Amino acid sequence: MSFDPIPLNSDFSSPSLNRRAMLGQSVLGFGALGLASLLAEDGLLHAADGAPAVTGTSHFPATAKSVIFLFMSGAPSQVDTFDPKPLLTKLEGQSVPESIAARVPNIPRAGLGSKLMASPFKFKTYGQSGIPVSDLFPETAKQIDEICVLRSVNHRVPVHGPGECIALTGSAIGDRPSLGAWMTYGLGSESRDLPGFISMLSNSSGPAPQTPGWGNGFLPSRFQGTLVDGKRGIPYTKMPAGYSHKNRREQLDFIKWMNQEHLAQLGQDSELEARIASYELGFRLQTSAPEVFDLESETAETAKLYGLDEKPTAEFGRHCLIARRLVERGVRVVQLRNGGWDAHGAIKANHTKRSKATDRPVAALLQDLKQRGLLDETLVIWGGEFGRTPTTEGSAKGDRRGRDHLPTTYCMWMAGGGVKGGQIVGQTDELGYTPVERPISPADLHATLLHALGLDQHKLFYMHNNRKEITTVLGGEVIGEVFA
Amino acid sequence: MYRALISDIYPWRTISTLLVYGLLFCSTQTFAEEQPRLAHGLVNRQIDTQKWNQSGFGWKGGWVLSQRQPALFVDTKHKTAADKQRAISHEALIHGLVQRNNPLRRELKETYQDQELYLRFRFRYAADKKQRDEGEFFVFWLDRYEGSDSAVHANHTPNIGVHVASSGPNKGKVVFMVRIGTQKTAWSSVELERDRDYLIVGRLSKPEKSLRAGFTRFDLWVDPKPDDLEKPVATTVNPQSVNGVRWVGFATGNKTERDDRIYVSDLVLSRTWSDVLDLSPGQIPKMATKQQAAWAAPVHFEKEIYPLLKQRCFSCHAGANPDSGYRLDVYEELLGFSTGETLIVPGNSEESKLVELVSTQVAEERMPPVDEGTALTKQEVAKLRAWIDQGAKWDYRLLPTPQTESDHWAFQTINRPDVPTVKSSKPMRTPVDAFIARAWQKAGIEPAPEADKGTLIRRLSLDLTGLPPSAAEIEAFVNNTDPQAYEKLVERLLASPHYGERWARFWLDLTRWAESHGYQHDLPRPYAWRYRDYVIESFNADKPYDQFIKEQLAGDELKPYTDAHVIATGFLASARISGNQMDKAAQRNDVLVDIVNVTSGAFLGLTLECAQCHNHKFDPLTQRDYYRLQGFFVNGQLGNLSLKGDGLPNPTEMKTWMPKGTFDFYQREAKKLIKRKRFAHTKTPHTWGYYSPLTGHEQIERLPVVNRDPLPYSAERLKQTKSQILIRGDVHQRGPEVGKGWPAVLGATTIDSDKLSRTALADWLTNRKNPLVSRVWVNRLWQYHFGRGLVSTPSDFGVQGEAPSHPELLDWLAAELMERGWSTKHIHRQIVLSSTYRQTRAFDETNFEKDPENRLLWSWPRRRLEAEAIRDSILCATGELKRDLGGPSVPQEREEASLRRTIYLFQRRSEMPSVMAMFDAPDSIASCSRRQVSTVALQPLFMLNSQFMDRRAQVLAKNIITETGHDHGQQVGQAFLRVLGREPTTQEQEQSLAFFQSESSTESAERRLSMLCHALLNLNEFIYIP
Repeated sequence: MSFDPIPLNSDFSSPSLNRRAMLGQSVLGFGALGLASLLAEDGLLHAADGAPAVTGTSHFPATAKSVIFLFMSGAPSQVDTFDPKPLLTKLEGQSVPESIAARVPNIPRAGLGSKLMASPFKFKTYGQSGIPVSDLFPETAKQIDEICVLRSVNHRVPVHGPGECIALTGSAIGDRPSLGAWMTYGLGSESRDLPGFISMLSNSSGPAPQTPGWGNGFLPSRFQGTLVDGKRGIPYTKMPAGYSHKNRREQLDFIKWMNQEHLAQLGQDSELEARIASYELGFRLQTSAPEVFDLESETAETAKLYGLDEKPTAEFGRHCLIARRLVERGVRVVQLRNGGWDAHGAIKANHTKRSKATDRPVAALLQDLKQRGLLDETLVIWGGEFGRTPTTEGSAKGDRRGRDHLPTTYCMWMAGGGVKGGQIVGQTDELGYTPVERPISPADLHATLLHALGLDQHKLFYMHNNRKEITTVLGGEVIGEVFA
Repeated sequence: MYRALISDIYPWRTISTLLVYGLLFCSTQTFAEEQPRLAHGLVNRQIDTQKWNQSGFGWKGGWVLSQRQPALFVDTKHKTAADKQRAISHEALIHGLVQRNNPLRRELKETYQDQELYLRFRFRYAADKKQRDEGEFFVFWLDRYEGSDSAVHANHTPNIGVHVASSGPNKGKVVFMVRIGTQKTAWSSVELERDRDYLIVGRLSKPEKSLRAGFTRFDLWVDPKPDDLEKPVATTVNPQSVNGVRWVGFATGNKTERDDRIYVSDLVLSRTWSDVLDLSPGQIPKMATKQQAAWAAPVHFEKEIYPLLKQRCFSCHAGANPDSGYRLDVYEELLGFSTGETLIVPGNSEESKLVELVSTQVAEERMPPVDEGTALTKQEVAKLRAWIDQGAKWDYRLLPTPQTESDHWAFQTINRPDVPTVKSSKPMRTPVDAFIARAWQKAGIEPAPEADKGTLIRRLSLDLTGLPPSAAEIEAFVNNTDPQAYEKLVERLLASPHYGERWARFWLDLTRWAESHGYQHDLPRPYAWRYRDYVIESFNADKPYDQFIKEQLAGDELKPYTDAHVIATGFLASARISGNQMDKAAQRNDVLVDIVNVTSGAFLGLTLECAQCHNHKFDPLTQRDYYRLQGFFVNGQLGNLSLKGDGLPNPTEMKTWMPKGTFDFYQREAKKLIKRKRFAHTKTPHTWGYYSPLTGHEQIERLPVVNRDPLPYSAERLKQTKSQILIRGDVHQRGPEVGKGWPAVLGATTIDSDKLSRTALADWLTNRKNPLVSRVWVNRLWQYHFGRGLVSTPSDFGVQGEAPSHPELLDWLAAELMERGWSTKHIHRQIVLSSTYRQTRAFDETNFEKDPENRLLWSWPRRRLEAEAIRDSILCATGELKRDLGGPSVPQEREEASLRRTIYLFQRRSEMPSVMAMFDAPDSIASCSRRQVSTVALQPLFMLNSQFMDRRAQVLAKNIITETGHDHGQQVGQAFLRVLGREPTTQEQEQSLAFFQSESSTESAERRLSMLCHALLNLNEFIYIP
């Protein structure tokens, strides 16, 4: 029996699941070849006549094979980024007109008692599409024709933790699998050596990261996102002092030999076999991972593009560049969380600082993916857990003014992976308080992202407590117009 | 975009532009007979003028046309002389586009937000000769916003017009309809005839007079007569709707074809029915009395109501699983007994939901549903009303109230089964063997032989204490010739304090225990560790399980007072609390829900959570049951509770043991609360527990809590809180008070339910007659020994759970538990002393074919150690484990200074110790009844590369050198003994020595030895219970 590589996310102890994860991977049409060879290597492919053993039912053709989620935690303000409201300038310092206020759903925080505040940022139109973007994002704006701006995303939870859980898991309680876990469950990883779902955190100021955001919920834990330190890479890949590649190999050979002797005494045991295989897999991960996180091989030009050479952009630039390297190597989902957008006070300074740190790296990511032909198969999504009030918060004056939380409408955007760029979906009222056209729920986004990967939200299920659980259990429909 | 101003003097440029574009767009089609022009007469000028003076009406500007396919304005063609009398001389002509189009729209002068808005327009759908199967679509919409050319509006925009019916008797036909968003469409039975003039009237209304309220109801009339006000042809209701109208317009859709010509004119908006119909005062119908067929005669339930309900309702709304949870064949259910929703109010038909449901004009809401048949006749409704008004008498002989009962095995009382007599190749060491052997015999299975003594001591030690035996212990046991050696070993291990440390962890999994509040801020609960110690001590003392339950459910009530009982309430207090939830009712309810779910899951093995919103779909558990059980907990709250004991650590010392970052965060948040006078540091020793000021000891002081926005605590309010059904689970929709009680299927609550305390709940749970508690507990114990329970769904003994593999064995163990003083250790003995337990791990093809899942236990089901046991075993092998019991937790950042058992590592929900996160420990969010075992590549990386593991290997190597000197052969032997508890085989010895030979000169021999040790710590043999 060969103890050679198994896919990272496979698990011998539940072969049916393993098989369906595999099927999902190949029916999409990409990577099928790689998959078949993997299966053959593992002795898992038993096609007697040489025909592909994979006959899984494709939900529908995928438009993307990877997703990069740029999660801006703390909540960027919609009226200061992608949803200009000239009326705010006109009504600066006034109360919210009743005609608008009357539309705002009854939630604990909506800032309706406060005074309207004009955006401290200027908007300009960009690209062929002429979509307005504020001067917070001059670089991203240059890519606007690749971007589909969603202006009417909304839910009802004005609190960061639960909001982040809604954004990334669909429920406020945080007891369900993250979207990335569902995707990895549905499709597995295309990479032999890397986990299918990788999550990185940057700028830890502001609300704490919500572990359910990359957690597996009730799905088996192998589908959880691997939390990676942007500097050090995947945890535990660095060998302790004194180890060389050679003596590690000897050590592994010894472990394998001992484990096989042990297995031989017991007879057949798939779980023990899986554990033996996991050591080889770990070794591959350890060997290949540092290369992924070592950016030395990138050209100076690329490094500069991502802003690695400048302090404000260095951290997030690094994460964005790693994200590209990861999807290049077949990682299914990369989630980059950038904290600190929670601008209750001094939104001008706060958002300026946050955009300085992220605008160039994000634009670079889009540009870089495009020039490498990866943007077609990589869906990039940007946004926070909710938006911010068009009014100022409290009694601060001048540049010390900020905005409170507002979940009733906020902006996100998508690009690549089959998304039709240069368009706006959804509209908000004249002040940016509520959607007036095409309201979008976070669950709609989840359905849409699954759709892009070729997964039907109603067909991808997992049996839990005798119930068929699906990702969008609380509803959610694919936003068709997002796609080209 | 083209704005054409309607006024007597309009700029010629606009007209010509319109003409040009109008013609341009239509150039491919022939409209020879029409002269497109700007319309004067679209609005009936005469009537429009009348309404113009009413405040709230009037146009802001002219009509806005779509760029895609603008509407044209044409002269009205008068067919008859009478027509010519009408003031309308122009119509708007709208062509289809086979896609959404918004050809004509106009803004009101002011946003209209009053309670009622009437509208009318005339309309003709011109025929053509084409055979159509696509159907038609044309609507008039009202919205706050203009929308775009492509007619995109927000969801829930009211619109009225014609469309292909997607349901109801006219399904597939083009009918007049009214809707608020596509989800809420009401289809009239009026079919569209082409080329015919219609007068469409609509009424948009709000349930209350309020600016913020939405226009939730929309009625439709087609060619109404003056007295048709109460008879719209269709009505829709959607709680989500616009609450103001600023823009109105006409729209076409995919089904509107290019050849379709739609003529509209005479648009009027107004406040009243008489205005919208231009009624003269004499024509205005009297509306003082609501039109209702009255029924004065006495109604006979059996002859008149019962047949009606049976024929028209019972096919869906009777029996245990009625549609939408509405059950009409049980009188108590009509009164809202189990769900809190009352369907009839005897004596008051006006207040009765049932009457509203069968008589509403809203086709979408009416019962029976349109698809199921016609509506009730007026006479039937009248009789139903009269029956209710006359007191709603019921005939219980005809429709008796069913007894809540179930023949499901788990709800039946436990009768102690006889121990079977069976012949087996194995000795019958405990009755467990007899039950197991009988199943073997039935299945023709030959069990595996007994494991060797070295394996058995390792298995027993790991299983009972979570720690491997030392080499010396193994040697002594293997060489012990005492026939009672095994039994003595079991007793020694059960008596070890480490037994409690292992078995407490399983209980903590069930209680989702952790040392922080969870959610976003996840602030620490400084003295939550006391509950961990309480659980450990309880297991070590073999506290009777009934007592264990009682203390945890009612520790604040039990007499006499003891600190331990207060600490035991940590079970109820392990729910998470969000620090940022502003809706305090929801925040409190989340905690109560968590408590009920964990209590029912852990003790009763019932998945009660679904009954929070509706009656259980599969088990005979109602929403009422849920809220009655919740009733036991509504008078209390989580918090820091004072303790009295001497010598308890002073709370100001928490800095010494809490992780630094966590402690600093705690201090910062405490400071903020102190400023707001909501917190004060205390020197009173305390624990994290649950306390009810109504039933708890008065001497317990409830101290404030540090959280971002703590749940307010008011003893007075808690004392007065009553348990109420939350209708459909909505915390803001409170139904009837239901008192306290346990699920009816498990027996009636006999005492006056308001007087019941949690002590009474615990007494009921631990009563000999309770069919679940003992079964659930012995099954858990079985599962922790064998990896899987006799019932493989340990927290679901309901109808959907798995049936037991050995039902009689389960009942025997349950009876044994109760009859032997609820002794957990007694059950351990029955299991681990059995021959079944002592089998070796051996694969057998024949057995495998008969029982591939090994449910009959024909071989020892090897299983991986849990995260805690892996780390603890490693520390044992290296000789570093600090065996102190109890006390404050150790932060992982300082673990090297205090290498204690893993159960003592600080458990902040968002920062679980890495070994736990790595090896499938639960996240402490929900109750975990069985851990997963996943095998992923990060595990070997952790086991090989983490600093923790490398240190362990180096320490082990050092200790081996100290013990054996520098001879490699002896070192290898010692390493095997210490890690695996056995000597290496010759081959293993050789392989190990070979490992040394490839040593490179730069490595010290000691480092090389540590690599070998490190390898041994990674072996399956080490990580699995043999």
